[in-house]
Formats: sequence, structure tokens, C-alpha cells
Amino acid sequence: MLPYISRRLLLMIPTLIGMTFMVYSLIALSPGGFSASASAAAGGGSPTGGDPRIAEARFRDRFGLDEPLLTQYLQWLGRVSPVKFGERAQIDSTGERIYPPAQPPQMIEFETWVDREQAKSAATIATAAFTAAPSGDEARSQYRAFARENRASREAFVTSLATLRIALAQYAEVTGQGSLVDARGEVQASSAASLRIDKNIPQWAAVKIAADAAFSDSVKAASSRASLLACFQSAPFAQAGIPLIPSIISIGAPDLGWSRTKNRPVISLILEALPITMLINLIAFPLIYLVAIPTGMLAAARRGSWFDVLSGGLFIALWSIPVVWAGVLAIGFLANNQYLGLFPVAGLSATDASTMSFLPHMGANGFERGWLLDMGWHLVLPVVCLVYAGFAVLSRQTRAAMLDNFNADYVRTAKAKGVSRRDIVMRHVFRNSLLPLITMFVSIFPSMLSGSVIVEKIFSIPGMGSLMLEAIGLHDSEIMLANTVMIGCVTLAALLLADILYAVADPRVSYA
Amino acid sequence: MHCGELSIQPHEVDLRRRDSLVFLMQNRFGIKDFVIVFLLLVIVATLWLSMIQRDRQWPVLQSIAEQGRNLDSRLAGIEEKIRTGVPMSSSASSSSSAEPVATTKRDESWARAGIPVKWQPEPAFPNDPTKVPGYKVGGEFVEIFEGQPSKVTPYLYADVYGSRVVDRVSESLGSFDPKTMKLVGVLADAWQIDPDGRWIRTHINPRATFSDRTPVTAEDVRWTYMDFIMNPLIDADRTRSTLIDIFDGVEVIDNLTVEIRFKDSLFTNILTALGEPILPKKYYTQFEPAQINQSTGLLMGSGPFMMERIPSSAQDLSSQWTPGQDIVLVRNPNWWYGRAPLERQRFRVIKDDLARLVAFQNNEASLVLPTSPQFNTVLRDNPDFEKTNYALKWVNMRSGYSFIAWQCGPRGETGRKTPFQDVRVRRAMTLLLDREKMIRDIWDGIGTVAKGPFNPESPASDPSLSPMPFDPDAAMKLLKEAGWEDRNKDGILEDAQGEKFQFEYTYATGGEIGERIARFTGDSYKKAGIVMTTRPIDWSRYQDIIKSRDFDAITMAWSATAPESDPKQIYHSESMAKGRDNFTQWSSPAADKLIEQGRRTMDEQTRMLVWHELESVIAQEQPYTFIRVSPWLRFVKRDFGNVRMYKTGLSPEEFFFSGTSSQAKPAN
Repeated sequence: MLPYISRRLLLMIPTLIGMTFMVYSLIALSPGGFSASASAAAGGGSPTGGDPRIAEARFRDRFGLDEPLLTQYLQWLGRVSPVKFGERAQIDSTGERIYPPAQPPQMIEFETWVDREQAKSAATIATAAFTAAPSGDEARSQYRAFARENRASREAFVTSLATLRIALAQYAEVTGQGSLVDARGEVQASSAASLRIDKNIPQWAAVKIAADAAFSDSVKAASSRASLLACFQSAPFAQAGIPLIPSIISIGAPDLGWSRTKNRPVISLILEALPITMLINLIAFPLIYLVAIPTGMLAAARRGSWFDVLSGGLFIALWSIPVVWAGVLAIGFLANNQYLGLFPVAGLSATDASTMSFLPHMGANGFERGWLLDMGWHLVLPVVCLVYAGFAVLSRQTRAAMLDNFNADYVRTAKAKGVSRRDIVMRHVFRNSLLPLITMFVSIFPSMLSGSVIVEKIFSIPGMGSLMLEAIGLHDSEIMLANTVMIGCVTLAALLLADILYAVADPRVSYA
Repeated sequence: MHCGELSIQPHEVDLRRRDSLVFLMQNRFGIKDFVIVFLLLVIVATLWLSMIQRDRQWPVLQSIAEQGRNLDSRLAGIEEKIRTGVPMSSSASSSSSAEPVATTKRDESWARAGIPVKWQPEPAFPNDPTKVPGYKVGGEFVEIFEGQPSKVTPYLYADVYGSRVVDRVSESLGSFDPKTMKLVGVLADAWQIDPDGRWIRTHINPRATFSDRTPVTAEDVRWTYMDFIMNPLIDADRTRSTLIDIFDGVEVIDNLTVEIRFKDSLFTNILTALGEPILPKKYYTQFEPAQINQSTGLLMGSGPFMMERIPSSAQDLSSQWTPGQDIVLVRNPNWWYGRAPLERQRFRVIKDDLARLVAFQNNEASLVLPTSPQFNTVLRDNPDFEKTNYALKWVNMRSGYSFIAWQCGPRGETGRKTPFQDVRVRRAMTLLLDREKMIRDIWDGIGTVAKGPFNPESPASDPSLSPMPFDPDAAMKLLKEAGWEDRNKDGILEDAQGEKFQFEYTYATGGEIGERIARFTGDSYKKAGIVMTTRPIDWSRYQDIIKSRDFDAITMAWSATAPESDPKQIYHSESMAKGRDNFTQWSSPAADKLIEQGRRTMDEQTRMLVWHELESVIAQEQPYTFIRVSPWLRFVKRDFGNVRMYKTGLSPEEFFFSGTSSQAKPAN
């Protein structure tokens, strides 16, 4: 059993990587790709009438969108993977992960702009000296000052680099080399090399000015990055994870990244949404099982009776009602005060829930609901909408599996021996009908975490379904990928669990 | 018989023994089980009792908190008296002669010499609620959000809901007057503007304080701009990327005077410099940039309301508001120029359209944004609706407009020249479209025909200009002049080369309204002999298509947040370059000149006249067919008084709860 489990666990790694790669490629191939969320977060053009290309360049640099897609994927994988390669990240007292500072973007190299001497002197500046601050607190504030300086100088460089690309585009248009201008209206470093240069054209002057500015900014960016790196290497903060081979391989907690559209860490978004979804599903799923399985058993035991027909018909009828419709009807009739007004319309608790006591009790104004009952009351409609369609499949499955076993030889033997009917149903038939139910459970379990998109939207429940729906709508790749990892892990774990449970439920199954 | 019975007996005993054996083997209920069940019961009972115990403490805790609040407000009152107590006697004598005070020269030592100082009127309620019959203090106002705000920390919020909350809590140096839409001082009581527009020097009202009673100073302004927004470690990218382009520096002149210098002279500089919320430096410097970035509810300002709970220090960050809870604002007892009558404001999230309306009708909300169809349906189905609710519909400075943009230059991918390069064709396209009927049919009559890029309520829009009429005959004449007529009598227009008049109409999928506009325009143009093919695309591809100019005609809507914005990014020929926002590639030397002139005119009055001229140039040239200005729609409970429609929107700080309905419950 143990080798089997460990083999399965090892197989999960490539499966997970493949899964995330699939989702990653799908996002990258979708219209707008990864920059879609960037532009959604940037929120339209700047009101100053400034060039939107420059603002976008800053944004792309900020989130590393200028890197090749595969590099971006590997970087993301590196952050999420519990096994980390390279220098360890450090953890701030605020819980923020600090990574080694990234290289500033490549300057567009042009022999004609910069003479060699200037370049050499710049190279010496780039390795600026750094003296570590003596005490821990001072080192930390020193690091923050360096970080701020680095971000500012890097941003300035990205800005002047974008200005240069735009100036080059203007020059290229004028000199009839418009084919070098890309869809963004810029000339990229790769095509800049093949640009024919004519210094007599007036637009060249603008290119020259932009290039000089970009060059001096690139020197500043490089030198501030060098100081920051030196400061980082002196480890002003606690290092994250456990090193296996120092500064090469370490083990650390996965970093799910930062949601660009919500401007918050993905992990805290998930930690807010997950308990809500789990709460609802922990009520809903046991309910489904508690109703569906006994009904299925009874229907099988009294096959062809009015109960069998009626329960089957009812469950199928329920199953065929679309949730969207049922939810809207429930709100329109059950929640609307003009009709029945029995239940609240939306949310998880009443507006005055924060002033309620926890338990229901008799108060000065008669019966008071209390926080606990209030939440239960709010959960009725969403849970009903989640549950009603689930009965059919499970009870039919149970019934079919039980009927199969009822016709088996051992049941006839047991009957012949005079074993009581109750014992036959409960101890023999039901136990042997468990296998398909285990399979069912496995397919249902991951959905406990992913949440129901429709129900959560209709009843305004801020759970995982809502989070995922919003993320898809806004093209927030970080949330989508984090969700994929989470659901992927749970699904794989559930599959493994099912296989183990098979062996437990059925002695004929073994994985020796 | 007797014997037989005896012989059976042992067998029966045996059976019973087997049964008891099974019982023992299965361990159905032994002493061990009894102990376990007993222990479990004890644990459950203890839990239950402890919950009851907590509940017993709850009212006590509540009353202590209530007492604390009362004490706090009483203390504030006493402090207020101490502060104003001494000048009270002197002001009592001068109050009878208010006129001379206004005319005496105020201290202008802070200002630059030689440039006139613009003193601002004292900030006040647009309409004083205390003078409205039925005025009462207290009550809770519940507003419904259609989506979940991810955070309400100023400058870091990521959606419109965040900005709506921040607007209630924070104040900026200046804002637009709700009635005249002119820029007036809020935190600033005076300013000086460089005639060249390269700097603005503002003087802060000495009475202004934040909700923690610390005075608003020039340093707070400088810190907000230079050390909060411009701090690259803080994720205020949206605002920062604007400020980086325009700000040259912020200098504190004295405790209450601050000068902001700009890189270029543009009128938008002034709007930006005065329009951003000012944050208390003392409060925000307690937190590390990383803590601010991760925060969800770090919101403190000087406005009429404040967050019910904000962290008091960096150790207390867990007490901030997080998404999923209602956002609760309470009246700022220390608001420096008045008292909001409402005790609280609450923002709830209800994502479903129907659920929102039902919640409003169930009295679970005081304000809701109905959809256009809902607005009319509710009023039609329920004639008594307006007895208990206000159904508000008005155009204000935040109303956007929808339009069809015509490709005036070569089309992106193919380089094909569209017929719309000819101004006569563009005019004809507008004349062919019965926009009154469109609004009636598609939007159920809600909205007005748009005439140009400026909001019709804004002073930037010329009230004497009317939208182009629906006139197919004139349109056909124009088309004929431009060389488009039905030459081979097949019902379709051709040009001299026999090329058919056809174009592709791009619109976003997923909305019923978009489909209906496409159908309506297609039919209108078909009648005139123009072939319109449609290209429905996903909204996420719009950005790409616009950037690459890969369309003949495209439909969209702009939204607005202020009475005027810089027209350069959309209408100037300089913005035609790939990647910039003039995606219709429309260029007009007259418009370029007016835009350049207008954006460098600092004087509001003169600038508005320039915009009027620009508006008429755009109306003549029709690079866009402006379709509809969408009004604001709001349902508000009549339990609230002083609900007025302003050109800037609504002003909840002056609402009061008049409590005519027995169902709604005030907070106190």
C-alpha cells in the first residue's frame, strides 16, 4: 500500500504542473492575454492627456509582463512551488515576501548614441559600494530606503525607455521604415538594431535626446539595483523557508501572488472566500447524502412500489429545474415582502447582526434571533438551491447499486439462511453498494471548495465561486492560477483517497 | 409434546447466546461507549453554557461601548467649547457686523506677490438640512453596491465602489460646486493660480481637522502627494502614473500654505492638484508601505463620515474592514464645518439585479440603482411606488454617453480606406439614425440624445447647440455629393468605381442592448442602401481592436467623473499615433488649435468658450455619432429628507431620516 501511495503522490507533481501549464497557456492565448488584467487594473487612460503607451510600459514592467511567456510561467511556478531554487526570499515583519531585486530592462543598445568611454564609466557606477547598517532595525529601514530608491529609478528608466521607443517609432514612420513599428506603436529593442539611421532628419534629434536620457537613467537604475542587491544579500530580514542546499535549493511556503485587479494578496482573498463556501457546502452536502442515500435504499428495497416511483419522479423533476430560475423565483416570491417575505434576500447575516447576541433567546422585545440563528436563516435559500438538484443522481446511483447486489447470489443465500431483511439490506447489500458512492463523493468533494458560481452570484455570497467568476470577468490571471492549483491539489488528493477507500471498502481490491 | 419442547429449548438458548456474542463482538454499547458519549455530551453542554455566558456579557459590553461613544462625543463638545470659547465673545460683537469682516483685507502674507488671491466661500451644505421641515438627527442609510469592493483604502482601491466610500470620508482641497459645477475650495480657503498655469499655491482653512481632531496642515498635503501617492513602494499606481507626468514638486510654504508646481501648463493640473483626497500624515505613517498595500480598510479623512472601525495602530490591523462584511460609516462627530444628520451609512453588496430591487422593496435598503428596464417596470406596475420612494432620474456630471465611432483613417490590419474619411458621409450617417426612436425603443425612453463629447450639464457644453436631427433626405443629398448613389438600381449605394457602400460594425457581445443597437442601426442604414455587416466580439478584445484601429465602425460608451476632461487624448491629431487614444484617426486642424488653446487656458470662463467652439467643430465633423446621454437612476426611500438631485450627484451628508415609515429602523 505504502509504495503505491508514494508512487501516486510523486505522479501528482507532473500532473499539477501540466494542469497549471494548460490553464496558463489558455489565459495567455485568450484575447488580451495577461495584459488584459493589467489594463483592467490601470482603469483606462490617464486624464492628463499624457501618452498612454508610457503608463502602460510602467505597468508592464511592474508586473513583469515584458518577459517571454515561458519565463513568466517559470517564474510563477517558482513562486508557487514549495521547492524553491536560487536565493531564498526574505520575510518582512509585516509578512510581506521580499525577493531579490530583478534586473532592470535592457537598454536599447546603439553604438552610435553612446561612446565607449561613457559606457565604461557607467559600468563602474553600477557596482556602487554598500556598507551594511549595524543594527537590525537600521538595516531594515536602510533596505526600505534602498528599495524605494530602486523602484523610483527603475520606473524613471522604464519611462524614458518607453519615450525612446516612441521617439524611434516616430522616426521610423518618417523615414519610411514603418514596418519596424509594432502593434503597440513602438519600436522594440530587437527591431531597433535593423533601423537605418540618418542623423539629418529632424526627428532624429528627439531620438537622440530620448536616448541620452534613457542611457543616464539606465545607469542610475543599474547602480541602485546593485546597492539594493548588496543590501538584500546582507539579509536584513528573516529568510523564508528551510535551506536544503544553501542558496540553491530550499523548501518554503507557496506564494500565490498578488491580484492585480483587486490590489490584494491572492492568499488573503482565498482565505476570506474559502470558509464561506465551506460553511455552505458542509451544510449542503451532508444534507444531500442524508436524504438521497436512505431514499435510494428504500426505493431499491421496495422496488416498483409507489414510494420508488414517487421519489424517483420527484427527484428527477427537481433535478431538471435550472438553479438560476429557482434562485430568482425564490428571491422574487419567498424573499419579497410583497409576496411571502419569509427569508432574507441576500448576504450571510442581517445588517444589525453585529449587535445581536450569539444565541437565540427571549429578549425585551420578545423573541430575538441571535447571530447563530440569523445566519442559519440567511443560509436557507442558498442551501436549498444548492441541494435540491443533487438528490436525483445520488439516490438513483444508490438504488441502482443496491438492486445489482439484491440480485447477487450471496443475498439469495442470506435470505435462504433466514437472515432478517433489515440485516440483508443494511449489512450486506448496502456495504457492497458503497463503491459507486465513493466514486461519487470524490467527484463532489473538490466542488466543495470551488463553490457554486450561480448560487453565490444570485444570493450575493462572497465565496469561492464569486471570487472565481469575478477573476474570470476581469482576466485576473493570478487568482485563476491560484484557484487552479488549489482545486487541482484537492481533486488529486480526493482521487487518491477514493482509491484507498476502495481497498478499505472492498477486500478484493488491493494495491500490493 | 413435553419432550419436544425440551429438545427445542437448548437450541433457542444457543441462538440467544450467539446473539449476545454478536452483541459483544460488535461492541454495540459498552461502558466505554457510555463514558465517551457522556464526555461528549459534557463538552457540548460546556460549549453551550459558555456561549450563553458570552451572550450574557454581550449587552453589558454593548452598553459599555455605547457609554464610551457618548463620553467621546461629550468630550468633543467640551473641547470644541474650550477651543472656541475665547473668540466666542469677540465674534459675538462682530457677528452683528458681518459685512465689514468680509470686506476687510484678509491676511495674504502667505501668497506670492502680484498675483490675485482667490478667496473661496466657506464650505457649507448645498442645502442646509436643519432648515428643511421634518429635520431629525440619527438614522441609518443603507446603500447597495452591485459588486464587491476589494478595498477602500484611498488611492489603492480597485473599483468604483472604493471611490464611492472614500468620497464620503475624505475631502480634497477643492471640489465642484453641486449647483454651479464650478471648482470651489473645500479644505482650501484660498488659492493663487499662476497665470501661466505652472503652479498653484493654496491656503488651507485653519479650522479644518481630520476625524481624529488633528488639524489639516500643508505638510499633510505635501505628504499625501509626494510621500504617499508618489512613493513607489505604495501601490497607488493609478494616481501615481498621473502625478508623475504632471507634478514637478510640492513645497510647504508655511503651516497652512502649500505650493504645487507643474511640469507643463495645463488646466487639468489644477483639477488634479485640488481634486485628490488629502490623508492625515500622522495616522498613515504608523504603517509600513507593505501594510498599506495589503490593507483593505485603512481609510481616514476629514469628511462628514468616518469608518466605524479603523486600526488604531500597526498592531491593530486585524480590526479593519474586510470584504464580505458590510462597510459601515458613522457620522464624524468632529467634522469641521458641520454635522451630518445621519448617524450611520451602510454599504451592502447584492450582486443580483432582482435581489437588489427586492431588498429595496423589503425596506432592507434606502438607496438602490435600478437598471433601465427595472426603473420603468417598477413605476408602471406599482403606481403607489412614488408615495413611499423617490424615483430619481437626472443627468449630472457623472453621466456618460454612448456613441458609434467612425474610422476616419486607414483601417488597422488591412489599410483599407473606409467611406467615413469624407466628412459628408459621417454627417449623413448621423442624419440617417433616428436617435430619439432608438432611445424610445431600446432604452424604454430613458436618456437624451447626445450632441457632443461634453456632458450637457457641464459649462463646457454650449446649451444653444442642439443635436443633429434625423433627416434621411438631407443625408441622401450629402451622400450623393460625396459620390455615393444607387447607380445600378439594386437598392445599394455605389461610388463612381461601382464599389458598394459597405462597412463592418463592431460591438461587444453579451449585452441585449448592444444587440438591439446593432439591429436598429443595421436596419436604418439598409433603408438608405448601405450594407452593414456586424462583428460581435468579446469585450476583452476591444482594447486590442481599438489600439490597432482594426474596425470600420465601433460602438462604445465613455463615462465621466468631472465636468470637463482634457479632450486631447481622444480628439487631437497628435494622439492618432498607434497605441494612443484617438482611435478614429480623425484629424482636424481647427480642433487641434482649439484643444491646444483650451488646455492652456487657466481662466475657467474663457476656457469654457473655447470648449464651446470645439464642441461645434466636433458636431460639424461627426467623427463619432453621439447616441445617448445616460442619466443617473436612483430609488431612494421617502423616509429620508433633503434628498436632492445635484449636478454632481447626490449629497448624502445632508440627508436626514424623517422616519415616516414604521418598518425602517433608525440605528439608535
